[in-house]
Amino acid sequence: MIGWRCQYFTLAWFLGKLPIMSTTIGNLNASVTAPTPDISVQLKNLRMANPVMTASGTCGYADEYANFADLSKLGAFVTKSISRQPRPGNESYRVVETRAGMLNAIGLANIGLERFLAEKVPILEKMGVPVIVNVPGWSMDDYADVAEQLDQQVPVVAGIELNVSCPNVKSGLSFGTDPMRLAELVAHVRRRVTRCTLIVKLSPNVTDIAVTARAAVEAGADCLSLVNTFTAMAVDIEKNRPVLANGTGGLSGPAIKPIAVYMVHRVYSTVAKTHNIPLIGMGGIQTWQDAAEFILAGASAVAVGTALFIDPSIPQQIAEGLRGYLLRKGKSSIREIVGTLAMG
Amino acid sequence: MPISPIQQTDAVRGHFFGTVTTNELLCREHYRLTVEVRDFPRSHPGQFAQILCVPDAQTAAVPADVKSLDSPVPPLTELSWQPAQPPPHFHDRFFAGAAAYLRRPFSIADRRDRVATATTAHVCELDFIYRVIGKGTRGLASMRPGQRLSLLGPLGRGFDVSPEIGPAILVGGGVGIPPMIYLAKVLHEKKIAAMALAGAQRRDLLPLKISPGNGPPAPVPTPSQAVDEFARYGFPSMISTDDGSLGFKGYVTGMLENILTAFSTDQRKRAVIFCCGPTPMMRATAAVAAKFAVRCQVSLEQPMACGMGTCQSCIIKYQPPGQKQWVHKLTCTDGPVFRAEDILW
Ligand SMILES: Cc1cc2nc3c(=O)[nH]c(=O)nc-3n(C[C@H](O)[C@H](O)[C@H](O)COP(=O)(O)OP(=O)(O)OC[C@H]3O[C@@H](n4cnc5c(N)ncnc54)[C@H](O)[C@@H]3O)c2cc1C
Ligand SMILES: Cc1cc2nc3c(=O)[nH]c(=O)nc-3n(C[C@H](O)[C@H](O)[C@H](O)COP(=O)(O)O)c2cc1C
Ligand code: FES
Repeated sequence: MIGWRCQYFTLAWFLGKLPIMSTTIGNLNASVTAPTPDISVQLKNLRMANPVMTASGTCGYADEYANFADLSKLGAFVTKSISRQPRPGNESYRVVETRAGMLNAIGLANIGLERFLAEKVPILEKMGVPVIVNVPGWSMDDYADVAEQLDQQVPVVAGIELNVSCPNVKSGLSFGTDPMRLAELVAHVRRRVTRCTLIVKLSPNVTDIAVTARAAVEAGADCLSLVNTFTAMAVDIEKNRPVLANGTGGLSGPAIKPIAVYMVHRVYSTVAKTHNIPLIGMGGIQTWQDAAEFILAGASAVAVGTALFIDPSIPQQIAEGLRGYLLRKGKSSIREIVGTLAMG
Repeated sequence: MPISPIQQTDAVRGHFFGTVTTNELLCREHYRLTVEVRDFPRSHPGQFAQILCVPDAQTAAVPADVKSLDSPVPPLTELSWQPAQPPPHFHDRFFAGAAAYLRRPFSIADRRDRVATATTAHVCELDFIYRVIGKGTRGLASMRPGQRLSLLGPLGRGFDVSPEIGPAILVGGGVGIPPMIYLAKVLHEKKIAAMALAGAQRRDLLPLKISPGNGPPAPVPTPSQAVDEFARYGFPSMISTDDGSLGFKGYVTGMLENILTAFSTDQRKRAVIFCCGPTPMMRATAAVAAKFAVRCQVSLEQPMACGMGTCQSCIIKYQPPGQKQWVHKLTCTDGPVFRAEDILW
């Protein structure tokens, strides 16, 4: 409880650029003299100037945050899920705050591929950072058709993230929990995606995430991202019914961070390291210290989701903080620390 | 492209850090927070800010007026061991006292600008009026003058105030009253005649400064109260309370119907209703407006996670007359102000 509060205030002060922050950026001042550590990241064909990206569904389609953050400072921009057809999504209420996090059941509401290509891609092109498009689906061809069209958008679109893990749609999306179906799907999409980095976003709602991770990697994924939200529920005790219209929702935010760190480490140590597959870690990241935990546990890059709602400029602050951390640790590149967590 | 109901093109907004200058209790459960913000952009009545409701770091204790926790602690009967004796409700207060995680939306209740000079920056004093109902607003209530406050704004599209309106009828209910205060100021600046209708459950839940005696005379024979926030612009105000503890007994829509009944056809044609309050009240106001064929704009409320148009949480069903199918619109960026007839209530 107290720990959570402290963490909260760290964030608040961080945002406020109050005096306390000088301790966090103290390291940066030193970077003027020492060589600046290299924080660039390569995810197969996708090169990022820094390891911090946005998480799908928390940053819109393109420039919604343009007034609140310098989007050109992102390592990569990850779009809201784009499906073949537009989707209205679930009924209201779609979100509710919970202790140290929130539940959402948006239901993949989105404008659909056609409008995305016509209206959003030109804006994304001007942003000047690699774009990763998140793709949901209900059949193998849903995924493959959309992914194939997006693969034609290189170089604006540099990565495709298969969302096999949204807990908020009733039909389908069980690909994420069934390793056989997942392998089949990834192999199917792989045949039609030749230029973009193919990322598979894993569901944490499984008994052992290493099993689905292995299935995705062996079927040809270039990279894995984890975790999506945890299926969860909040109850309105006066009305004796779930708060969300959908009944259940997905839990995100600092509440899930320790489980997400564990899952990244589990996947890194059992699958990713041996197959040399980079991981994108996410789940409750709000500060560079949070990001560093994920990187030491095995993530090559990190994504910020829910915390963007509080301050869309958090990713660039994390990137700067990581640079300072590397400098203090005497590292010349972020790659030197990925997965270096000493166990036992 | 999305058909946006209210057109306002000056989309300058941002993340600002203000300094709290006052945070005072106005009436039961309602506070007015004033924040000084440098270079706050142009805004419109009906727009809002997303405020980070971090409680005062110095005040670790939770304010004692936690309403929902006032139920008695059940007696411990079946325990054979001797439990510790915490102060009453200690655990409840401790656990319920966690800081709000997401920001909370609040309408701009007024603004006063000190323009930049050769030596001083442009400073905007923003007012917010809020009712304490949960952890975010409780955190806000613990803020003290001098503390820094983070806000995103101005967000959303405000009321469409075109000059040919006359009169403007401001209908505010509960925490929907604050944006009406700002709207009254802008109407006055634009020399548009207006009257204000404010409703609350009880007299002590009206976050308004009401002096004894009569206010500016109402255009229709309805008792007018001296509500400082509106009388300062020469606008008559009419109050309704559910229990009749002040003004008209009943809902604000009952009062609105009386007024519109007394209006001439021509007056109804030129009048515009501006409404903000609880959803059932806005729905009822929209129905009254439709019945008398009076134009009506409503400022809607939906749970919001981001306020910036990214999370898709704040949807409403939007179906302008003549359109075959409804579509979802985002309350935070397409609204919160919509034309009442465009909403599928
Ligand atoms: C555009 C907009 C403008 C607003 N302007 C103002 C304003 O000027 N002044 C003001 O006091 N409030 C305003 N609100 C409402 C305000 O945002 C909520 O009161 C606030 O978020 C509550 O936060 P909390 O943490 O204190 O309560 P929570 O802990 O989040 O909620 C406490 C309880 O109240 C319920 N609740 C929460 N929000 C609402 C709501 N909006 N309507 C009904 N029940 C709710 C919850 O379900 C819960 O049961 C506005 C809302 C919107 C969307
Ligand atoms: C409101 C909201 C909407 C989301 N929508 C999507 C989505 O469309 N596709 C997806 O793959 N993940 C979606 N996510 C999951 C996030 O991308 C991320 O995996 C998760 O929230 C954990 O990270 P966080 O704790 O930093 O938010 C959504 C999360 C939230 C909070
Ligand atoms: S509150 Fe996030 S889209 Fe409106």
